[in-house]
Amino acid sequence: MNIHVQLIGLFKTGRFDQKTLDVPEGIRVDEVIATLGLPRQLFGIVLINDLHAEPASQLREGDRLVLMPIVDGG
Amino acid sequence: MKIHTSDPVAEPGAVAYHRCTVDLRSGEMVFADVPCRNLEDVLGGFGRSFQDLAKRQVTDAYSDENPLIVNTGLLTGSSVMTSLRTYFSGYSPLKASKKGLPAAMWSTGSGSFGAKLKWTGLDELVFENRSAQPVYVVIREGGNGPQVELKAATHLLGLSTHEKMMVLHKEYPEAHFASIGPAGEHWQTNRLGAVALSTENQLKSGEDKCRFAGRGGMGSLMGYKNILALVALSSDRLRPVSEAVKAVNLNVVRGGGSARIQPLHRGGGGGTWAAYDVLQAFHAVPYNNFRPAGNDLPRKLFRENVEPHYHIQSQACFRCGITCHNNISEKKADGGKGEFLAKFDYEPLNLLGTNIGIHDAGQAARLIQLGDNLGMDSISLGVTIAYVLAYNERHPATPLLNGATFGDYEKIRELVIQCGEGKLPEIGQGSMRLSESLGEPSYAYHVKGLELPAYQPETNPGYAWAIAGGHMSMGTYGLLTREGKSDVESWVKGITEDKLQIVGFDMIGLCKFFDIAKGIGTQMVVDCLKSEFGFEVSTEALCAAVRRGFLRGLALELRQGYTKAEYRLPAEVSENPNPHIRLPNITSPDFLDKLEKRVWEIFEPELAGILD
Repeated sequence: MNIHVQLIGLFKTGRFDQKTLDVPEGIRVDEVIATLGLPRQLFGIVLINDLHAEPASQLREGDRLVLMPIVDGG
Repeated sequence: MKIHTSDPVAEPGAVAYHRCTVDLRSGEMVFADVPCRNLEDVLGGFGRSFQDLAKRQVTDAYSDENPLIVNTGLLTGSSVMTSLRTYFSGYSPLKASKKGLPAAMWSTGSGSFGAKLKWTGLDELVFENRSAQPVYVVIREGGNGPQVELKAATHLLGLSTHEKMMVLHKEYPEAHFASIGPAGEHWQTNRLGAVALSTENQLKSGEDKCRFAGRGGMGSLMGYKNILALVALSSDRLRPVSEAVKAVNLNVVRGGGSARIQPLHRGGGGGTWAAYDVLQAFHAVPYNNFRPAGNDLPRKLFRENVEPHYHIQSQACFRCGITCHNNISEKKADGGKGEFLAKFDYEPLNLLGTNIGIHDAGQAARLIQLGDNLGMDSISLGVTIAYVLAYNERHPATPLLNGATFGDYEKIRELVIQCGEGKLPEIGQGSMRLSESLGEPSYAYHVKGLELPAYQPETNPGYAWAIAGGHMSMGTYGLLTREGKSDVESWVKGITEDKLQIVGFDMIGLCKFFDIAKGIGTQMVVDCLKSEFGFEVSTEALCAAVRRGFLRGLALELRQGYTKAEYRLPAEVSENPNPHIRLPNITSPDFLDKLEKRVWEIFEPELAGILD
């Protein structure tokens, strides 16, 4: 199935900004994170179709996935 | 500290802190070992100072009754990572209730002054009354304990925060310094004064790389006292790092708590600057006085768009393994480092950048540098200027001051300079007083008289209960954005339980990046207290002490005349909801009413008697 993935901030470095990925049916967010090699300790926010979700959330055909690093302090 | 117990919870009186009370009018000094009243006293910082402030009835921040309390935390100057904090407490010249009474306030910063002060043998300085002449204060270790001396400071008048330190550095090359700038000297017309703290890097390089205790106008209070600088002179007394502390320090550097703050080349997130990218994804980067427009302009200050044009260097505080900040310098033709400009943290960058319509990194850096050198809190300065620009946008025929508008760098720069020199009381009094004098308070972005940091209020109704600045005394600023919480009960729990724990760092002497998400009620802190002092303290006892300290702050606000109606976000947030912010609406009147009711139901019973 196809999902649309957008990476934010440093996650883009050496990867991509936005891309449609062909992934196995029923794939979870954390599996996408692992596939992309995103550093887990920096991982912060998951959005699926503009709603907050969890790394364990399952993806469906056509989902828009946004992966962001954590935000902290000032 | 004199410690005669391993159980400071059951026997706080067996721990005493060393205090010097200085009467600035007479020059008299009284040294005392003061037994602690409770664990908050033992921990220090605002946990102690707020108990002392609660004993005083202060109706005017600029009065003899208002002390300036300078203290450290229990772990300041220890071998624990980030233990560099100094605290400045008093009744705030800036933060005040609508009734007109000043609020108790503390402000804190890192740099090397705090450790040096601790190593003189003094835990706390209390400045009473006011000196007739400008002075600086030398605190030094002596054979029979710490010594304090007042010295004439006329030669420091008019110098920037950094310049004062460099002048004093020539006379006291082994010392570290706290100083105010021209803004604090002009306390009558500038309530935004910050206290600058010297760093190793600054004194060695000669570059203006201070740290700041900015919030609440503690630099203006110091200026009122006629104290231009503090000099802490002591030998280094850093103890060897124990195995227990070594393990904690490694955890701090490598663990989840601070890893995201580390520089990019170490696999970190690149400091707080990284918040720009994340918040922009929600169209929640403050823009033109906290009104994000759903456009791409905030991207101009993304690191990736600044790096090609400026030299960026990730640096840490002395002895700290968290390389949290990004120093921006001009870039030479060969790509090397040119003139140092400023430190880019998220708050000053946004509030003296995107939020006032400045999208050029060099211009933003120059404004940050100016504000720092003039000695003003970049948050309060930036937000009050943003209010002026918003007013001028709404009143083009009758603008304020020089008629500056969003993005007009030259005119904004003029406002910063004139304000820092005490020539613009309109801005120097802060956004609450200015907006009320103009009869247009709805778009003044403060809560309880203290300007908001660079997290949109639409994302953080918890600002209302912050006791000493929006994001650093109430850790709810990521509850919606980061955690996706948009129901009332999650916010009630956040405000009344988990997120208030952030203020524990402002007792114990550690920077929040030690473990910003969890606070000080952790095994890491328990291990450090055992290793450094032989204390047996549980995480539960630490959390309870932090909660009491927080509640004391809340009770002090109410005692100073705050009504519940003042625990509210700026009216514009609810009256004119921003359609561009891509997050659930948690600031509708209905949501806020429910939240307010539930939060007070929990807090109010605990406030009874807490100031006794």
